[in-house]
Amino acid sequence: MAVESQTKSNTAAANPLASDPELLNDFILESREHLASIELQLLTLDQDPSNSEAIHAIFRGFHTIKGMAGFLDLDEVRDVAHEVETILDLARNSRLNITSAVIDRILESKDYLNRWMTELEAMLETGKTPAVPRSDALIESIRSLASEPVMETSPVSAQQADIALPEEHPQPQAIPESLPPSEHKDPVGEELRELSQDLSTSALNPHPETPLAAGENPEAGKPADARGAGPRSIKVDTAKLDYLVDMVGEMVIAQSLVRHDPDLALGQRSRLARNLSQLARITDDVQRTAMSMRMIPIGQLFQKTARLVRDLSRKAGKVVELELQGEETELDRNIVEELADPLMHMVRNSIDHGIETTEERERNGKTASARVTLKAGHQAGHILIQISDDGRGLDQDKILRKARERGLLDSDAHPAESEIFNLIFHPGFSTADKITDVSGRGVGMDVVRKHVQKLRGRIDIQSTPGAGTTFLVKLPLTLAIIDGLVVGVGPQRYIVPIFAIREMLKPTEDSISTVQGRGEMAMVRGSLLPLVRLHERFEVTPRFEKPWESLLIVSESGGKQFCLMVDELIGKQEVVIKSLGGTMQNITGVAGGAILGDGRVGLILDLEGLCRVGNRE
Amino acid sequence: METMVAQAGSSIPLKADQRAGKYLTFRLGNEEYAVQVLRVREIMGIQEITAVPQTPSYVKGVINLRGRVIPVIDLRLKFGLPEIEYTQRTCIIVAQIESQAAGKIQIGVIVDCVSEVLTLQTSDIEDTPDFGNGVDTNYLLGMAKVKGKVKILLDIDKVLSAQEAQSIGAF
Repeated sequence: MAVESQTKSNTAAANPLASDPELLNDFILESREHLASIELQLLTLDQDPSNSEAIHAIFRGFHTIKGMAGFLDLDEVRDVAHEVETILDLARNSRLNITSAVIDRILESKDYLNRWMTELEAMLETGKTPAVPRSDALIESIRSLASEPVMETSPVSAQQADIALPEEHPQPQAIPESLPPSEHKDPVGEELRELSQDLSTSALNPHPETPLAAGENPEAGKPADARGAGPRSIKVDTAKLDYLVDMVGEMVIAQSLVRHDPDLALGQRSRLARNLSQLARITDDVQRTAMSMRMIPIGQLFQKTARLVRDLSRKAGKVVELELQGEETELDRNIVEELADPLMHMVRNSIDHGIETTEERERNGKTASARVTLKAGHQAGHILIQISDDGRGLDQDKILRKARERGLLDSDAHPAESEIFNLIFHPGFSTADKITDVSGRGVGMDVVRKHVQKLRGRIDIQSTPGAGTTFLVKLPLTLAIIDGLVVGVGPQRYIVPIFAIREMLKPTEDSISTVQGRGEMAMVRGSLLPLVRLHERFEVTPRFEKPWESLLIVSESGGKQFCLMVDELIGKQEVVIKSLGGTMQNITGVAGGAILGDGRVGLILDLEGLCRVGNRE
Repeated sequence: METMVAQAGSSIPLKADQRAGKYLTFRLGNEEYAVQVLRVREIMGIQEITAVPQTPSYVKGVINLRGRVIPVIDLRLKFGLPEIEYTQRTCIIVAQIESQAAGKIQIGVIVDCVSEVLTLQTSDIEDTPDFGNGVDTNYLLGMAKVKGKVKILLDIDKVLSAQEAQSIGAF
């Protein structure tokens, strides 16, 4: 490490931005991590301005970034980090009160640094020079904070103030890992470096600066270490992880292929059978572990919302408390990423539409401060996420009126409650009387439903007038594997995702009727459903041409039911979803491919796409 | 012979240099084709191919390559040659191609049979002659003459060109 950074420091000095891209990348990654934890700590601090641990944690974050930025000659980044550090230094020595203005400035600085990281990343990829506005104004506004008078002293324990001393040394280079030992001229830094090395060997911690934190405060490991990572964790490239999960899935299939090989079943081979079932157990375990490696707690996502709630409620002039429950619930990383947008829209919706103004709340005998609750948990093999507010609830009459105005409903239709609520997912639907820069354009909820459907989940709304609204989002545990039914049409086999199947049946001859001699319908439980012949869509020769000889799969997609006609049902299988590769990604009716039990590729059907094509014709 | 070598060498030295190297040759009907060995990942016998709807006829479908799903095209159909029954000698050459639309992808190419690996010198390679409108020379790197026989050098990236790759996707 030391030797490495020495060579790197030379190149950095010669040509600051074009220095070792690997080093810069490390810097970006690490800074991002720090900035995320800084935001989290800031929000804690917002709730409890006297939380000295949070101040320390934020200080450390900026300090590390400042050190690294100085080393990489990123002056603007360093200067901003430095100014924030100065403010925090005043704060932790009780010479400055943490007000929301202070927090706002620090959040701004954090955003500014984040922007830098984005630009630097872009620079690494495309080679274009970062275009970040000057930091002068920001620095000025941070400096102005320092001149504010102190009202009362905030408690900082003697122990913390004491041990934090070495960090107050004005040398950002005092961060041990960012400079080679040979360049350490100052005794404090040298001492600090030794101290941290001692600690890092004992703490087995991969993060270079966490040993310091542990040294400062014995309890810091639990609440203050916002990264939430246990003491022993490593960073792994997500692409590698995805590949691992993929290959483990294949291993499970290959294992079952061997196990069911007809050649092995011959004769008396109890030992072989025993060993094979042992192998099956192990592969199962490996698969479960591999899947769990890709799971991350949803808490990270919730915490991002915390910032949003703060900003939005400020802007709307409302007092909103955010309550988080079940943050430890684990979800596939890919789902968490996809969930960020819909969650944001729902929270916006809650704050902007759901929650009343403070005066209105008081008039209605509610507490002045409103509450938004995010709750996650498991339910029957699914993840259930609830977003509730205690606002005014959905106004059914208003929704009905708007829907009729827009021609979404007949004027004499009287839909059920849930159907009325579902109207708000309609593109462009909004009950807002005025458009704000937050919401009211009717885009949000439409996006929410699309995203949730893409994740193979569903969304429901519960609402009580005057008492609040709850969005219930139900999602699968993972996107990598789906339960599918393997069906056959002629020589081909297809996989139908089970979540989309309502029922299967063999129709009688008189339940099939045609419209204009072409459009076929099947009567299922008293309702006429359109019939889609899979073999016609995919141009294969089926074994049965007559619907009453073949099998009908009743599916639902986008609220519409239809029947899919296939030859036969072959079995049920859990499959790993694979992309068909860049050139075949957008085939209507095909969601992807999967390796079947016999090693062949089966196509996974996209029922929504099939239904859409059916409607168009 | 000597004069011809000199011509080929002097007129397009740089391009010819890039074309020299090892090639895998294979047959389609009576014609011998060659692809750069570096692009070839593996060669396998014909196996069951899962048809994919809404793709051009030369796209035979997808296969399972050790857990990865890769597309397979029939080079005969792609080049407008008549389709024949697959035999024991029919091979799938798995090649790595770079397309603008999809980046680096692996693709299976069905050929009649694989012949040999040849080392071609710059002097062996000539530019593709202009056939007029009848033959699409866009995806040919050039021609090579080895022991009196002509090998057609394929630019495997262009065989499934960006435009076509997109059209498969957009169908």
